[in-house]
Amino acid sequence: MRALRQIGLAALGVAALSGPLHAADIVIGVRSEPSSIDPYFHNLGPNNGMLGQIFDRLNDWTPGMDKMFGRAASSWKPINDTTWEFKIKKGIKFHDGSDLTADDVIFSYERAGNYTGGNSSFRTYTKGKTLKKIDDYTVHIMTEKPYPLMPNDTTTVMIMSSEAKGTGGKNKGISAKDFNNGTAAIGSGPYKFIEWKKGDRIVLEKFDGYTGPIAQPWDKITFKFIKSEPARVAALMAGDVDAIDNVPTSDVERLKQNPKLSLSSGVSNRVIYLHMDQFRDSSPFVTTKDGQPMNKNPLRNPKVRKALSMMINRKAIVERVMEGIAIPAGQLLPEGFFGRSNKLQVEKFDPKGAKKLLQEAGWGDGFGLTIHGPNDRYINDAKICEAIGQMFSAQGIPTKVVTMPKNVFFKRASKGAKGGLPEFSFVLVGWGSGTGESSSPIKSLLATHDKSKGMGASNRGRHSDPRVNEVLNQALATVDDAKRGALLAKATEIAIGENTGIIPLHYQVNTWATRKGLKFDPRADERTTGYDYTLVK
Amino acid sequence: MTIIENNPELMAEDRNDEENYEGAQTPLRRFLSDFCEARLAVFGFFIILVIALVAIMAPFIAPTDPYNLATVSILDSRLEPGEAMMSGTIAYLGTDGAGRDMVSAMIYGLRISLGVGIGSGIIAMLIGISFGLLSAYAGGKIDSVFMRIVDIQLSFPAILVALVLLVTLGKGVDKTIIALVVVQWAYYARTIRGTALVERRREYIESAVCLGLSKNRIMFRHLLPNCLAPMIVVGTMQIAHAISLEATLSFLGLGMPQTEPSLGRLISNGFEYILSGKYWISVYPGIALLITIVSINLVGDRLRDVLNPRLQK
Repeated sequence: MRALRQIGLAALGVAALSGPLHAADIVIGVRSEPSSIDPYFHNLGPNNGMLGQIFDRLNDWTPGMDKMFGRAASSWKPINDTTWEFKIKKGIKFHDGSDLTADDVIFSYERAGNYTGGNSSFRTYTKGKTLKKIDDYTVHIMTEKPYPLMPNDTTTVMIMSSEAKGTGGKNKGISAKDFNNGTAAIGSGPYKFIEWKKGDRIVLEKFDGYTGPIAQPWDKITFKFIKSEPARVAALMAGDVDAIDNVPTSDVERLKQNPKLSLSSGVSNRVIYLHMDQFRDSSPFVTTKDGQPMNKNPLRNPKVRKALSMMINRKAIVERVMEGIAIPAGQLLPEGFFGRSNKLQVEKFDPKGAKKLLQEAGWGDGFGLTIHGPNDRYINDAKICEAIGQMFSAQGIPTKVVTMPKNVFFKRASKGAKGGLPEFSFVLVGWGSGTGESSSPIKSLLATHDKSKGMGASNRGRHSDPRVNEVLNQALATVDDAKRGALLAKATEIAIGENTGIIPLHYQVNTWATRKGLKFDPRADERTTGYDYTLVK
Repeated sequence: MTIIENNPELMAEDRNDEENYEGAQTPLRRFLSDFCEARLAVFGFFIILVIALVAIMAPFIAPTDPYNLATVSILDSRLEPGEAMMSGTIAYLGTDGAGRDMVSAMIYGLRISLGVGIGSGIIAMLIGISFGLLSAYAGGKIDSVFMRIVDIQLSFPAILVALVLLVTLGKGVDKTIIALVVVQWAYYARTIRGTALVERRREYIESAVCLGLSKNRIMFRHLLPNCLAPMIVVGTMQIAHAISLEATLSFLGLGMPQTEPSLGRLISNGFEYILSGKYWISVYPGIALLITIVSINLVGDRLRDVLNPRLQK
């Protein structure tokens, strides 16, 4: 309402004074709060979305992730097989008035790559890369092998001011706390950080010195964190907020009919899938039918994994759990993204075929299973787990369902067992490709787990096939786009088509809602960025 | 003061005399007639009986088994009250988001709520009684230590303690009961200590001491029976409290596992759908919970009136 009034006032101002058009304020109710203002503390969706408004990156994506554009970089090109040259735009100012130069870029990549004490790092994007300053506005990034995906990788690491002052200690003497209270939160993005009241709100203000490609439609953007789904919807309907993200699927139909609201939704690049323990002979949550531990692990048999995939009625999940707002998945990325396979189809629901396959594999009598999943991370995550539990149980695999908050879940799912191994046997997770193509999920989810090479970092089932590694490595070093795309498709076909290394379920479709008069272009990276909201007449 | 005069058995005889004088009533009869004077309480008691019966007989009464994942199907999810499920069973109160028949889910949910409430109440009462009696009887340092523990325990909000416990313990009936016992025992301990402090100065205890009876015998055979009246009242109220606490915890996503929803969990599941008009998932379990707690409280209130000597005519 306040925003409306200000629009009215602004219109008056324009009419009377012919002065500059004053944009209004906007209040956005969002589900997830970032875990820090430090841009390298946590490589997490809500953080990357929020902080990308404060900090520039060298490159960034349009909302549909179909086009890359330079934010701090004016141009980039490979100058030889192993070196990329990035030219930095001149005249970019940080929020404290200083200039953004090559020094800041190098400082940022160093701090990001060597960050300690964070929740999950950006090392996947910085490992094996050396940055060199040529002059104030030119940086060379060198790799050991040809690396065509360099521009994609530069859409991830944010650039902070090298002159930011902290209270000392590791991470270049600047701690996450220094960012959270605002002293070190100096970026060059279109919006300045004003304050963060934990659990309540983050306030951003338009940066007048911004000259970049991103529009600044608002003077002030307030993000209110409303975790509860019905409460967020209620806040929008009551006019407490101008817009919300993550509209619960159960409310979409009804809100669409509300003339005071407008909704927009788009397919995200996030696939929801299942990891299966393929590295332990005795997996803790794979049991006999009556719950006794076993010294054999059926999940190591690709036929069993395939059978499980065939037991899942994806159509029922999409229709009944997601209320039609999701797209059944057969691989890592939805249509339109780079590096997909044209051959892989969505696995058909086939109880008879699954039964037969289980018998062939010697597991015709079935076994017991526990599915673990988060209950506050993905759209309807806990309900999906329960639906899968139902489907398996009805087809001779008695399944228990255990869901927990994401803070607990991810720690245990990644390294909860002895020796830092994944604790669970069968987990539901999601993956959104930050680089907009399929190499990053193959690298993280399906390549053989190897910390030293930065491979299989999130491979919680430890799927491992030398053929996949080989084709992937070949793809990563292939400069020709078409050839690389074909290699990535081949790696996906082996890992998912032949091995069923993971079971893809569906691609998320995200829905945003605003009051009438506002518009939001749905973002494939699921980010709720204030500057993407525009006024419509 | 002679020992004979204070002999509890003689006291009992005295009381019998008194009752004979009032009209040949046994204490139980007098209690029952007092209790039945309040119609509402009798009604409450009747409802509790029905609910308890339904809960105990759940597997035989419920049309489907809502906790068997093999028979519950999401294809049945969110049916409106009166629609037929795939199996042909009519869901008279609709189905929830996972495809569970609401009638069955509520019957099983009541079973969990009552089981957890009564189970935790009894265990907490036993623990509370032991500590409270010992505290009152022993006095001195033991009393101070126990009562400071009780003070600390009571100074934390019950829900907070239960939340922290469940986050560390995990989900399940047993864990919920443990959490509720931890939150509740202090109430019982404090109550019985107060009564016991008064009782232990009575002559019959002194006489028992003089007779050289063992401490345990005095505590449990002489002191305890005379302190039971307030325990019955507190116990009833605490069971209602435990049921609502369990529902709160489940509503917050702790307590019972997702595939075995108690009433609180059902309400919370339905809360997601309530704005889109699917009221039945929340409202019916809410009504069931309300009726249960109100009935227990009605009975508890009446018990307090009947068992409180000060209020007796």
